Amino acid sequence: MALRLGAVVVLALIAAAAAAIIPGSHGSGSARFEVASVAGRSSVTNRLPIHLTKVFGSDLPANRYGSIIGAQENQGVDAQGQLSSDLSPVSPSAFNRPIAAYRAYAERWSLRLAGAVATLRAGLAANDRGAAQRDWSTAFGDYLHLGAVYGLLPPALDRRLAGLPQNLGDPHFPGLHRIELGLWTGAAPRSLQPVAAALAHAVTQLRRTLPTVPIDTLDYTLRAHEILEDAQRDYMSGDDVPWSGAGVFGTEEGVVATREVISTLVPLLQGRDNTLAEAQNWLGQLQGTLISVRRPGGGWPAVDQLSTTQRERIDGSLAGTLGALSEIPGTLETTDVPVIPSIAAQEAKR
Amino acid sequence: MSPVDRRGFLTRSLTVLGAGGAGAAIGLAGADGASASAPPASLAQAADAIGTRELAVVVPFDGPHQAGILTSRPAQATFIALDSVAANASELVEGLQALSSEARLLTQGQSVGVTEIDDPPPDSGILGPYDSPDSLTVTIGFGASLFDHRYGLAAKRPARLTEMPAFALDELDPTRTGGDVLVQICAGQRDTVIHTVRELLRAVAGRFAVRWTIDGFQGAHRGPTAKSNTRNLFAFRDGTANPDVTDDALMNRLIWVQPGTDGPAWTAAGTYVVVRTIRQHVEFWDRVGMLEQEQMIGRERVSGAPLGGTQEFEDPRYDLDPHGQRIPLNAHIRLANPRTSATADQRILRRGYSYHRGIDSAGDLDQGLVFVAFNQDPARQFATIQRRLETEPMTDYITPVGGGYFFAPRGSSGLGDWVGSGLASA
Repeated sequence: MALRLGAVVVLALIAAAAAAIIPGSHGSGSARFEVASVAGRSSVTNRLPIHLTKVFGSDLPANRYGSIIGAQENQGVDAQGQLSSDLSPVSPSAFNRPIAAYRAYAERWSLRLAGAVATLRAGLAANDRGAAQRDWSTAFGDYLHLGAVYGLLPPALDRRLAGLPQNLGDPHFPGLHRIELGLWTGAAPRSLQPVAAALAHAVTQLRRTLPTVPIDTLDYTLRAHEILEDAQRDYMSGDDVPWSGAGVFGTEEGVVATREVISTLVPLLQGRDNTLAEAQNWLGQLQGTLISVRRPGGGWPAVDQLSTTQRERIDGSLAGTLGALSEIPGTLETTDVPVIPSIAAQEAKR
Repeated sequence: MSPVDRRGFLTRSLTVLGAGGAGAAIGLAGADGASASAPPASLAQAADAIGTRELAVVVPFDGPHQAGILTSRPAQATFIALDSVAANASELVEGLQALSSEARLLTQGQSVGVTEIDDPPPDSGILGPYDSPDSLTVTIGFGASLFDHRYGLAAKRPARLTEMPAFALDELDPTRTGGDVLVQICAGQRDTVIHTVRELLRAVAGRFAVRWTIDGFQGAHRGPTAKSNTRNLFAFRDGTANPDVTDDALMNRLIWVQPGTDGPAWTAAGTYVVVRTIRQHVEFWDRVGMLEQEQMIGRERVSGAPLGGTQEFEDPRYDLDPHGQRIPLNAHIRLANPRTSATADQRILRRGYSYHRGIDSAGDLDQGLVFVAFNQDPARQFATIQRRLETEPMTDYITPVGGGYFFAPRGSSGLGDWVGSGLASA
């Protein structure tokens, strides 16, 4: 805006100069007037940035913007009070089909997880560390595919599947990470069989639980970015894969699970802002970045084996992806968000 | 450096020494450790000459209560947890005496001149020859570990002092947790704090070793009113519901250990300090919708008003909102302070600082809050509140990683006394 006004002023100055020096052109006096009036207009219209107390283009006080806009978006109107299709809220029932699709997907992966745990148990029984480590990775990856439901499982079940102890020096805990501890710190694979047997039981309970686990609409849209939020915090830091260092692998599996969540939301996201394209673009870029660090013979480097450049590229793609994904809950805002009553209104009602 | 420079330095130092002495006298005149006194005329003149009058503000070190508790929060702070390496109780006492006497000199703006030209100077000199008091406070506390078998202090242990328990979602790093002695250093400028850190550690060398340390800062006062609280790194105003520090009766109910009622006599007029280093996952937070952020806290982000209200200090009126239609029942402010008569004696005085420590191994900013709270009884107050907060949605965005429980005894009564002198008396 400022640039364009500047250009107008410059052009007008050139015109004025030309008028002044070119004999026979329009009167130089009137040309000078025009220059003055352009400059005057620019200073009158350019009063935006200094003392802004109202949100531009609306009557909203700046200090109430967040709550008022939130309430208006619930009504499907923009800051000017105009009806807006882009901002109109989504009916909660529109999420029934995506959630059902996701549940079916999760159930399929829980079946694969059961198979992977069976294979892992065979590898442990054979006391073959290399095979058992590969089998563990497969089972861990299958578990991560369940990303969008694991926050909704009963905490006790979650701990039995993939909990970590508060003190990493304490080996008395169940689940996938207990097997990780054994396989990467020199325990005899055979000695881990009882842990794997208990894990198989937990997976059976998971398969019984999945069809009925409640999935809230709001939780579901949040999961679109929270799967990778967890991956970044817990896996790329190495914190939640302390022995195998399988953070890059964990993040890659998180990308796949996120893509699955988004694929169920495509019908709702289409035509609403540019959210879907942005998310898919960044997920593609992230996946490409991850694949670029894959070992030539297959398999993933541990997080502490990444070079600084690799590390920075992954961190950057992941941050960009998370930014794009964080738009999804807002884009799919539902009508069931209640308008916040004022204290005065509540007082009057009493 | 040439000998001429050294002589010049010596002359300036001696000039300022006189001014510093006057500062200490004025400081002592303030009977209550809570109020900052006006700078003495000579210091004020010197400061005015270079336009740095705020650097000349003196907060008394001695007084019934230690400074740095009820006194206003300057912009900069460093917290240091020390472990005692003293070989026996008398060495420990020497170390604590040195800590107090150096803290008194520094907070009162007393400069030390160069005495022997061939010796290392007695002051690092990073503030120049003039030690600007700069609202400096040094607050000293003791951890439960100081009262173990080493120094025969078990009978002196303050009644409510324990190690800080690990709460449900804590991921405490032992190298950032606990300590025998806590030193809280606050001042207006970063270099004042750093100078104090160096001089205090030099004074206690061989008696104490640093266990952990963390630097903190305050948001600048950006209004809209002079009373408006500053923001933490989640961008919400912090400290709004703090009890009124000018209400002596209230402070005696909530903050100060009362004489004759609760533990060894030496602990009267002291207070318990809770320090919690709380990582805030700011990138994650910044990706959360505004409405959700406000519902997690229970306040409007810009104004700080309780949801449905119009200004920061408005009562949230939970009585009108029993089902959480306006302020969710698990919102931070509602769980932290339900404002009922049953929870009135659980209130604490918060005096936290934000921190920034660079990035973590996953490339995320390592930012957060050095949560600092003063209270009369951590079990009754802080821990009760903290257990309620274990169910708040905000827990996904924070990770407590360190800190500790400490006991800050009464203030030193003047020259010759020291913070913790009650440990040494029979």
